[in-house]
Amino acid sequence: MVASAQTAHLTLSSIGLRRGDRWLFRNLSWSIPRGRVIAVVGSSGAGKSSLLACLAGLLTPTEGSLSYRCSRNQPHQPQDYQPRIGIVFQHFALSLNSTLLRNVMCGRLARYPWWRTLTGFPRHDREEAWRMLHDLGLGSYAHRCAGQVSGGEQQRTALLRALFQEPEIILADEPVSQLDTYLAGRVLGLLRQQAQERQCTVICVLHDPSLVERFADYALSLNPQDPTGWKIRAVRPTHD
Amino acid sequence: MIEEPKAPHHQAAPEPPPFRDLPWHARINVASISLVLFLVLAATSVGVLGGSGRSLDYWGNLTRFAARFFPPDLSVTGEALAALGETIQIAAMATLFSIVLSLPLAVSGARTLSPSWLVFCTRMLMNGIRTIPSLIWALIAVAIVGPNPLAGVIALTFYSMGYLGKFFSDAFESVDVEVARAMRALGAGTVQTFQFGLWPNARPLVWSYSLWMLEYNIRSAAIIGYVGAGGIGLQLHTYQEYYQWDRFATVLILILIVVSLLDFLGERVRRQIVRKTAVTRAAGQ
Repeated sequence: MVASAQTAHLTLSSIGLRRGDRWLFRNLSWSIPRGRVIAVVGSSGAGKSSLLACLAGLLTPTEGSLSYRCSRNQPHQPQDYQPRIGIVFQHFALSLNSTLLRNVMCGRLARYPWWRTLTGFPRHDREEAWRMLHDLGLGSYAHRCAGQVSGGEQQRTALLRALFQEPEIILADEPVSQLDTYLAGRVLGLLRQQAQERQCTVICVLHDPSLVERFADYALSLNPQDPTGWKIRAVRPTHD
Repeated sequence: MIEEPKAPHHQAAPEPPPFRDLPWHARINVASISLVLFLVLAATSVGVLGGSGRSLDYWGNLTRFAARFFPPDLSVTGEALAALGETIQIAAMATLFSIVLSLPLAVSGARTLSPSWLVFCTRMLMNGIRTIPSLIWALIAVAIVGPNPLAGVIALTFYSMGYLGKFFSDAFESVDVEVARAMRALGAGTVQTFQFGLWPNARPLVWSYSLWMLEYNIRSAAIIGYVGAGGIGLQLHTYQEYYQWDRFATVLILILIVVSLLDFLGERVRRQIVRKTAVTRAAGQ
């Protein structure tokens, strides 16, 4: 059976995460539908990045469980599902001495055995990464090292690396923090396009309420004062 | 009318407590203790300045000895240059082998890449290799393969491994592991994580250290010939044995020119490499 937009892509069952002696969030339950854009909001220290790390399988929740359903509607545990998750890290995690082109192509590392990438990526990957860089205004920097371009250009490269992976879920931690209004709109538009055209679920941390209203389907707000005080709000009408 | 900003109303600051200096024992730390120990060691080592105890004419000895170097006998320039070429070849081969052998050693000796027991064992091994001087390695190699350039290559390969292994380990440790973790999260395997996450950022440092080692090995290769391990050292030894100090001077001058030239070039290249690394690091912060 192929998963439809109505089936849950990701199910959070009473998950909670404790850091030291403090709970960041607790009893968080939600069946996230496929192909939606979810904005995670909340003040600093609310646990937004930690929640994304849990969803990415990089952190294990202190309580509760997570389960994923792939496009064939088969259930998966977080560890098995990790290669299908594209992550845009808050601090980008790019290889600074590698070109933007190579950084973007790293999104496809999981597709190839190690000996296939020992001498580089296939030509069709290079051409596709090149095209994507051009589309996002980075074409002239494609052969420049990531350490030699601006923070905004690095951030777009990190996003392209995640998109190049062609993931089923994109987790983006503040993906537009270093971009101007125009580029922020383009990047979030690109993420929204992924959700609509590829039924990819996008979960991203956003701070700007106007961007949340423009691009998100749902907003999940975390409350640093009350770990169980999280709220889910439908930003635009959906047919779920 | 422009309204003057009103001075904020401040409460009178409480009187600070009376000044109190740090107690004397608070100034004791590892740096101060090691400085005192060093000064004590130096003070107890004055005896070595006594020389042989005989009344010798130091200045006279020096001028007489130096006079034998002049004029240098330039007739040996050709064979000295050939021997210098062999010296550089010994250094180049030894550096190449030591780079190849040091890379796996460095990975197992890097705290960020390997389990602590392996790091400990590898670092102990590298420390052990470093404690043996190149001349002793050359003696061992000559005993095994005989007096020829191969002995020089073997000796310098082992000697360099101790240094390059440590330098490369430090280079891998200095790389931001977040990139490697990100590669893992992207689904990269171990080799891919190393190739795309660690190696690109460690590469400039690894190459810079390798060039430094090449320079160092050229200097070392010039001396290990004294014990039969090939290169120009063998010529130096022969001229010294037969008191041919004018020929000895020619060889020394050639070594000086070649080594200085390589030092100068190597320094410039290494500075360029490290500057590029510094730029990319700064941009990443």
